[in-house]
Amino acid sequence: MKAWSRIRSVLHNLFFKQQVEKQLDDEVRAYVDLVTDERIAAGMPATEARRTALVESGGVEQVKQAVRDHRAGARLELFWQDVRFALRQLWQNPGFTVSAIAALALGIGANTAIFSVVDTVLLKPLTYPNADRMVDFLAHTSGLANNLHSIPEFHFFQRQSNIFKEVVAYDNAGPGFNLTGGRPEQVHGIHVTGSYFHVYGAPVVLGRTFTPQEDSPHGGKVVVLSYGLWQRRFGGDPSVVGKSISLGNEPYTIVGVIGANFVADPQADLWLPFQFDPASNDGNIFFEATGLLQPGVTVAQANAELLAASPEYHREFPNTDWRPYFTVGPLRDSIIGDARNSLLMMLGAVALVLLISCANVANLLLVRATSRKREFAIRSALGAGRARIVRQLLTESVLLSLAGGILGMALGFVGVRALLAVSPAGLPRIGEDGSAIGLDWRVLGFTLAVSLLTGILFGLFPAFTASHTDLNSTLKESSNRSGTGFREGKARSLLVVSEVSLALVLLICAALLIRTFIALHEVGPGFDSHNILTMEMSLNGQRYQNTAGVAQLLRDGRNRLNALPGVELAAAGFWRPIDVEDGAAFKIIGRPVDKDCCGSQWMSITPGYLSLFRITVLRGRDFTENDTSDAPHVALINEALAREYWPNQDPIGQQIKDGDEGGIESIVGIVADFHDSGLGKPADPMIIVPIPQVIDGYNAAYANIQPLFWLVRTHGDPHRLVPAVTEQLRIASAGFPVGHIRTMDEVMGRSTARQSFNMLLLTIFGAVALLLAAIGIYGLMAYSVAQRTQEMGIRMALGADRDAIRKLVVWHGMRLALVGVVAGIVASFGLTRLLSAFLFGVKPWDPAVFVSAPLILTAIALVAVWLPAARASKVDPMQALRAE
Amino acid sequence: MRSKQTNLLQGTLDLLVLKALGPGELHGLGISRRIEQITKGTFLVKPGSLFPALHRMEEAGWLSSYWGESENNRRAKFYRLTRTGKGRLEEETKQWARVALAMTNALKAT
Repeated sequence: MKAWSRIRSVLHNLFFKQQVEKQLDDEVRAYVDLVTDERIAAGMPATEARRTALVESGGVEQVKQAVRDHRAGARLELFWQDVRFALRQLWQNPGFTVSAIAALALGIGANTAIFSVVDTVLLKPLTYPNADRMVDFLAHTSGLANNLHSIPEFHFFQRQSNIFKEVVAYDNAGPGFNLTGGRPEQVHGIHVTGSYFHVYGAPVVLGRTFTPQEDSPHGGKVVVLSYGLWQRRFGGDPSVVGKSISLGNEPYTIVGVIGANFVADPQADLWLPFQFDPASNDGNIFFEATGLLQPGVTVAQANAELLAASPEYHREFPNTDWRPYFTVGPLRDSIIGDARNSLLMMLGAVALVLLISCANVANLLLVRATSRKREFAIRSALGAGRARIVRQLLTESVLLSLAGGILGMALGFVGVRALLAVSPAGLPRIGEDGSAIGLDWRVLGFTLAVSLLTGILFGLFPAFTASHTDLNSTLKESSNRSGTGFREGKARSLLVVSEVSLALVLLICAALLIRTFIALHEVGPGFDSHNILTMEMSLNGQRYQNTAGVAQLLRDGRNRLNALPGVELAAAGFWRPIDVEDGAAFKIIGRPVDKDCCGSQWMSITPGYLSLFRITVLRGRDFTENDTSDAPHVALINEALAREYWPNQDPIGQQIKDGDEGGIESIVGIVADFHDSGLGKPADPMIIVPIPQVIDGYNAAYANIQPLFWLVRTHGDPHRLVPAVTEQLRIASAGFPVGHIRTMDEVMGRSTARQSFNMLLLTIFGAVALLLAAIGIYGLMAYSVAQRTQEMGIRMALGADRDAIRKLVVWHGMRLALVGVVAGIVASFGLTRLLSAFLFGVKPWDPAVFVSAPLILTAIALVAVWLPAARASKVDPMQALRAE
Repeated sequence: MRSKQTNLLQGTLDLLVLKALGPGELHGLGISRRIEQITKGTFLVKPGSLFPALHRMEEAGWLSSYWGESENNRRAKFYRLTRTGKGRLEEETKQWARVALAMTNALKAT
């Protein structure tokens, strides 16, 4: 009843506003008239009666306002009024509005951009049904954790059935597969164990996944297709199950198709069964494993039980104590990996940018509030309460920040796309070139929350300052430009000081990352990466399960490539020199057997590989075409290995034995060190062997877990040779395609992508911060000069020369800047330590950075201060004095 | 401090307005004078608080209004109690009596 009556009133007040207002006016006036009549009747003179009646009633307008404030829907109405007024105000001051919105859009845009990446990479839950119970396995050796495992380890994990409901294995990258027949194509094929699809909750849209028989040795050649490949290659043919697909010229039967929305990890076009031998004692580690914890089992419990069970495993499989124990960790953490830290750093940096934007806009608002003092005084004289004025100002600032937010969101989305296009930075979970990053309610909510919060944050302070005015003195002031009060002056100085110090922190961080980037690029990789084409070929099929087949392909392929015009040299290897990821244990013949000796990086190459990369053979000789399987077996070592194991001896002529099954090799040369695991890390000790002398088992294992790299050094632009090279390789391999065709320079770029990404972002943030801080100082000084024109005039009239005036203003501004710089340096000393994990070749307290960044900031501040100072010194004393 | 006083007055004012309109319809000034009269000059209701209260109560459905002529032929807005308003008056009167009794007893207690 009452509610209905209220709603009716709200609607009535809203839609018949004019009528309601008119009646209110009539009513209050009638009241005053009635009082006047009474007084006249009591014998008071007419004018006196009216005056006292008005005074006693408290003023017609005030009464009306009091009624309006209590009217149903008054809040709504007030809010609407505030919004309209605010819009009008903002519209009338385009300069102010545009600069405030621009500053906010920059701040909010940067935050939206970074948050959308953080959201996708860190916050979004994995799409798998039991993601919170999924863990991945790690083996620990001397402080290092490795996520690759061997078949016996996998079976050991599976046996721990009281902790793991299921354990599945899958290739971590896979060799790739040559989809032959029709147009050849290299596709991403991933080997998995049978229950992989079940554990990952992959929806089957057609057929089925692998049966236990199919995942056993000799289980037949079967594949499961991804939705993408099914559409692309078979046009979504519903009768594809049971048909055959040709991989590496061998037929495989399609048993099923997985749904479109399955986010495969690792990415795959098709899946094949591992077909592990349950009796295998193969010690090779070549796949990753994921476990599904039993319900109620925690990661800590799982780790404790796994540790307790390890001795049993080592008893069963001797010679496995080089991997003494295993642990599990949440799958999500392992997928996110080290991207977390770098994203959190970005989030911190971008929050600083937003704070600076806020300080800047707060400053602008303070200036405006000061110049609107009279307006507020008049409004309170007309019956506006203090809360009303605060609300009005907050409405304005929130409107500003929302406008900034909308623009910022657009900016953020364009920005993040542009950024990821420039540098995808190897971030996990972002899809192809960041396609998984998109607009969703979380990003929208975040931007909205940030906008509202900033609006209130930067609006509240000026609003309270402005509403706190002495009505009488403000109205009495003859000037329409009241001076800056002490409190506001202090507040504004504080804002500028904090802006400068925050900007300096960002600038120093950016400078440190720039130095890191430069340091990384100054690192000689130890090889020449220019004019080299690299491409991958998957060695599928029986032919490549033994060394002779691989060697035959390599010889034929290299002959064909070397015959091409424009090719300087061709070679091949199972690794590129920047990212060698295989290690092996070896024994030195003639030395006592030591359990802990010896381990090194290991790679197999063809002749020509070293000269192609311009890797110097310091002593001895390079491999030649004569190092065939029949010839005496040979190996090269790098300097690091020579230093470690033959510090005072000549290693050439010494013999080593590779692993347990490998043959005995004589060391025939020493090569210069190169950065085999990224530019940021020193060269590891390394053994290099010619592929034709590698035992069958090793080559087969390589062919099964990763692709072969073909390498071509060209005269001129490597891209021009792509068609000819791929064609020759297709012929040599009887129809295999090559994939991931890149120049070695591109590969190098990718290897430092994360650092480039960090540097690029922080440099942008630093530049934005610098700009905002400069605008802040300029704004403050320009305003204070405008305020003090009269004072300047008087000073000049009293004999101060222009230089003295300029100095006065410059000193005033620079004092603030310098206080900010000192505060910024102090803060940076504390904060850059957090950055140390991202730095290379530069200390967190690098003196060059800590000197140059403050200097740059001070110089910019000086420019920002100089302009208003110059204007102040040009004041014409006569005009300044007359103006008031 | 100030807000406390306003709250107290508001509840009282509503009851006084309802009471003033109990016998029949009155315009704004009439209500004000009537309250002055029945409280023997204890409460002087200013238009700044009277009119907001009247409009609020009308919106709540306790009062209805119409435009009429005052005794000296001026156009004025008259208010009268609705059915809800009359019920409200009874209810508020009982409530007030209870509160007043309780307060008096409380203050008498030693």
